[in-house]
Amino acid sequence: MLTRRRFGQLGGMAVGASAVPAALWAVAAPDFTVEIAPYTLEASPKHRFRTIAYNGQVPGPLLRMREGLPQTIEVRNLTPDPELVHWHGLHIPSDVDGAMEEGTPMIAAGAMARYTFVPEPVGFRWFHSHTFAGKNLNKAGYTGQHGFLMIDPRDGTPAVADREVFLGLHDWGGHFVGGDDGFMNPVYEASTINGKMLGFGEPVKVKAGERVLMHVLNSSPTEVHWLALAGHKFRVIALDGDAVAKPQTVEMLRLAPAERVSAVVEMNSPGVWVLGEVRMHVQAAGMGIVVEYAGATGKPVWTQPNDLVWNYRQFADVQATKATEDVTPIELSFDSKFQGHGNEELWLINGKSYPKTDEPVLTTGKRYRLVLKNLSMDDHPVHLHRHTFEVRRIDGADGLRGVRKDVLLVPSKTTAEIEFVADNPGRTLFHCHQQDHMDRGFMMVFRYA
Amino acid sequence: MLGTAFTVAIAQGNYEIQVYGADTVAPKNLMVELHSNFTPEGQKYFIDGIRPTNHQEHETLELTEGLTAWSEVGFYVFTSEQAGYGVQWVGDHIRPRVKAPEQWHWPVGVSISTEVGYQRAVYSPDTWTWEIRPIIDKQAGRWYWAINPALERTWHGPDVKQGIGFSPGAKIGYDFTKKINAGFEYYADYGRLGAFDSLHNQQQQIFAVTDLNVSPDWEINVGVGVGPTAGTDHLIVKGILGRRFNWGGKKSAVQ
Repeated sequence: MLTRRRFGQLGGMAVGASAVPAALWAVAAPDFTVEIAPYTLEASPKHRFRTIAYNGQVPGPLLRMREGLPQTIEVRNLTPDPELVHWHGLHIPSDVDGAMEEGTPMIAAGAMARYTFVPEPVGFRWFHSHTFAGKNLNKAGYTGQHGFLMIDPRDGTPAVADREVFLGLHDWGGHFVGGDDGFMNPVYEASTINGKMLGFGEPVKVKAGERVLMHVLNSSPTEVHWLALAGHKFRVIALDGDAVAKPQTVEMLRLAPAERVSAVVEMNSPGVWVLGEVRMHVQAAGMGIVVEYAGATGKPVWTQPNDLVWNYRQFADVQATKATEDVTPIELSFDSKFQGHGNEELWLINGKSYPKTDEPVLTTGKRYRLVLKNLSMDDHPVHLHRHTFEVRRIDGADGLRGVRKDVLLVPSKTTAEIEFVADNPGRTLFHCHQQDHMDRGFMMVFRYA
Repeated sequence: MLGTAFTVAIAQGNYEIQVYGADTVAPKNLMVELHSNFTPEGQKYFIDGIRPTNHQEHETLELTEGLTAWSEVGFYVFTSEQAGYGVQWVGDHIRPRVKAPEQWHWPVGVSISTEVGYQRAVYSPDTWTWEIRPIIDKQAGRWYWAINPALERTWHGPDVKQGIGFSPGAKIGYDFTKKINAGFEYYADYGRLGAFDSLHNQQQQIFAVTDLNVSPDWEINVGVGVGPTAGTDHLIVKGILGRRFNWGGKKSAVQ
């Protein structure tokens, strides 16, 4: 059986068989081109990181698509290693989704590939590297290989704000350190918003009275982040690109790796403010950006919250009684296996580690409930490819409705439940979006009958 | 480390029997350790005025305060209990230590300590001693190893003209479970650099040890050691019980 690591080693051969000579690509121009190449990120003058990026920028380019309109993206891999781009949150076929576990071929070093798909569903998506990093914390999700992808409705976007701002959170310079929990965990030298540490990037310039729709992505390979904007509040309207049942006004946002939040901010407090990580040590490591009103001057102001406050259930409707739905439960228990204090733990789903994990078979059109029992000491941001699920149970609340996502942070020692309709045949990957966890076996594949 | 600081061939003092790891205590943390060592089978006679080690019980209090993310200072109080002598104060040492910061990303942990101290003449003829101890370690999967190639110098006592002595220590351990590590520790005193003692007179000890990782705040190490040479106590039982105290205050979630 091919392991993920082995598959990566063979990737060059696999793509070599399907690669098309460069001359043929020129027949029709793609809608977008993504070039994967080495890049030096200057997070601040004192913090430079040799990494890999898309189109020579971090985050990569914003890919803006219209729902239902076929798009072709050409991806060129100018790195010395096989690579793969995953189109995160899109309901597209397995062979273009960008996960080798589903059957998308790797792009060999120096090769290129084209992906043609019909973009859907509408909302804030993203794209990123989907390869194995292992102990190399300058590969895959640890690099600058991530970008925003927005799918607009085919009939136009009703304006909910005067303008949009895209913000990407990321951590850099990772290395493994033995933690108090007895395991090796990545720690980072710097944290950025849109590739810059606080005070070193261009400020977000706003005008008094504006309504700004902030699309925030946490592309960190392993870290949950908390974000607040001093002097302002967020009106959260969508999670992972899907509108929530009950928009809420909150003091801060919490984003697990791969999660997105779309929130409207009323610019009603002129000044110069810090939009930054709530936890002091993370903001001190650079995670912040200045928000500057037109005509305002002075040092950016930060107001330190005292607590970390967030839950999913506030955005959901609560169903008083459980409907008698035709839904098939699938229980998945997450746990770890000790591998030595000098190793990361091995991750298990139902006692098995990928590629030995079970492959449940789904029937097209049926509704499934994944019962996610997190027996481990860690929280896990689990991600279901090519589908959107509805959160039914989380944070101790049951019978939830109206929060649709593709990533859910399942807290340690709790059980969450999500439901989805098997409406997109093909191999479908389910995994923890922490890079070190997925590299150590926290993955499984659903098959369709 | 006093345990290997005495170069008197057959009057070994085992007060702190420990191979150091490269990591230092975090700032605003105090590590309190009690080293308890008993010699069931040791030297039974007075030699040059030095009390016999046989059936001596040594209790050593070690206080280590973290200064920065890469430095600490340790302080020792050595005591001995023996039939006919009661509990006796033996001496004190101070031990500053620095390590290669984690930001350097070295493939092994590296630190260096220097230890200076006094011990009473009835327990050691060399009353003032100095030691410099390079420390190198590595955790690789389930395996852990550390080496401490220590160099010693007597400042006051019969060995003051002996020059620098070589007293290495080493450890290898294996994680059998998340909480239980077991392995071996090796301690030696080869004598003067460039003119080692004969093997017969060297101190050579090997311990079977286990470390219990029950909590990040506790350190538990127990072991049984044998010394096959004439210059070594033949059987020693050791234990280390450590507790970490954070006096920096409990941090809130946002800190």
